[in-house]
Amino acid sequence: MAKHKGRGIATIEYPTGMNQNGDPSQAWVKLKPDGRVDLFSGTVDHGQGSRTVHAQIVADTLGVPFEWITNDNTNTDSSAVCTGSFASRGTFIGGNAVRFAAEKARERILEIASRELEIDPSDLDVIEGEVIAKGAPDRKISVPEVAAAATWTYGELITGTGAALKPFADVNDDDGSVETEPHSAISYAACVADVEVDDETGEVTVERLIQVYDVGRAINPMLVEGQIEGGAMMGLGLGLLEQAYPYYPETDHRGDEFGAYLAPSLEDLPDLDNVIIESPSADGPFGAKAIGEMANNAQPPAIASAIHDAVGVWVTEMPATPERILRAIDAKRDPRREGKRVVFDDELSVRTMSSTGGNGFLETDG
Amino acid sequence: MKLTVNGVEHDVQAPQLASLLHVLREELDLTSPKAGCQQGGCGTCTVLVDGEPRRSCLLPLAAVEGAAITTVEGLGAADELSPMQAAFDEHYAAQCGFCTSGFLLAGTALLNGSPGATREEVLEALSGHVCRCTGYVKIVRAVEAALHGEVHPERVEASFEPEETEVLIPGSPA
Ligand code: FES
Ligand code: FES
Repeated sequence: MAKHKGRGIATIEYPTGMNQNGDPSQAWVKLKPDGRVDLFSGTVDHGQGSRTVHAQIVADTLGVPFEWITNDNTNTDSSAVCTGSFASRGTFIGGNAVRFAAEKARERILEIASRELEIDPSDLDVIEGEVIAKGAPDRKISVPEVAAAATWTYGELITGTGAALKPFADVNDDDGSVETEPHSAISYAACVADVEVDDETGEVTVERLIQVYDVGRAINPMLVEGQIEGGAMMGLGLGLLEQAYPYYPETDHRGDEFGAYLAPSLEDLPDLDNVIIESPSADGPFGAKAIGEMANNAQPPAIASAIHDAVGVWVTEMPATPERILRAIDAKRDPRREGKRVVFDDELSVRTMSSTGGNGFLETDG
Repeated sequence: MKLTVNGVEHDVQAPQLASLLHVLREELDLTSPKAGCQQGGCGTCTVLVDGEPRRSCLLPLAAVEGAAITTVEGLGAADELSPMQAAFDEHYAAQCGFCTSGFLLAGTALLNGSPGATREEVLEALSGHVCRCTGYVKIVRAVEAALHGEVHPERVEASFEPEETEVLIPGSPA
């Protein structure tokens, strides 16, 4: 009867967005007459920060300050289409849509600036809200001046639309096989879990999670960090606590009130060590891949393998509740026959006397 | 019955046993207290009653007669955040925001009552509030920043820099 420490590791790879069946996100960018930018993207921000990330992508693509961007995604009816905020697609697919839209608007900014400055668009750059001649930085015009010229002189609305879509997969009607492009971006992650398991109560305490995520490019590192930390606690919940139907597919004993479903609380918070790796994707906006869903995928297997390291049992159903751990330990405590041998676990067994001085097995007569 | 909320006195018609949460949301249209579990278990309905954080889902109206109630609407405005709100903003301590009102008020009570609180006391004050999004780390950090007076309400945008996380770029010198 003791507490045992264990360490486990899990690694994952995570593809961004849906594949095989089309997956559009669309966006629209337009300039107000004073140079401020309206961005309409369909992507829903439920706290993960896609509005901020999309505004950053547009600001950096256009070459204007972040504060100039208003990202309005409040109106479903008039918003551009987006398949949704799921499948870790908000930054990669939604972000590409806003990038494409901003690139087109930037072309129009350069075109109008070119008329005003009488310099070829290819010799112009937009930096911090100013269109500047490459190599002759004092020949310039501000983006607000460009937007005003477009509005009042040329009668143009500076705008751009963008659409990101993975094409539909080709399905072979004869054998049903599917031919599709491979995923355009795959993110990678690893999680190390340090746990303590009480072999008397079956309780597991996660003491530390070390989490490493390759997200391509962290467009907003603080938001990525928020996903990593939030994902850690969701993964801990999935691994140890959360269960809607304990005897699934039986529906008995399902919780019917808040307290019957255990979500991780502040008391469950382990030490978190996070690392972001930026190994860029060729296709994502500024090299970004994804963080979304994978943030809660690696903890449950890492915790399960740490439990195995601690008490030598594999819990093969999530969550690893005290009941499941104790049953697994019990099963392991019981001596079992393997061919001519009776095998038992020397450390765990309470029902078996060792006559071999702790060598872990007994020869039987057989 | 008279109810003082955020310094304004209201005449309330609801029955004496109606929950304070119901009265605030449905009768007074103050929707910052959230109806999460309505069993006292999640903390999203927390309001301050005479400065103390209480779960409004479990409080009958009759129990708060004459008390001063504070909700998030009474803390600060969008262009004039309270120190606790500014800290939450700065540290990205809210994602979906459903738990945020409760944490803000629990944190505010701590700031007013025991600004010198230790890490353990902070955790104690916030425990019992459930957050499904943030993993709690940034909430604790924000509350501690407010307690230590390390907030910058004049700042216009949140920092993009992570606080705990190392960023590694393969191939670049360490
Ligand atoms: S709604 Fe009151 S504690 Fe959950
Ligand atoms: S921010 Fe979503 S529940 Fe806390």
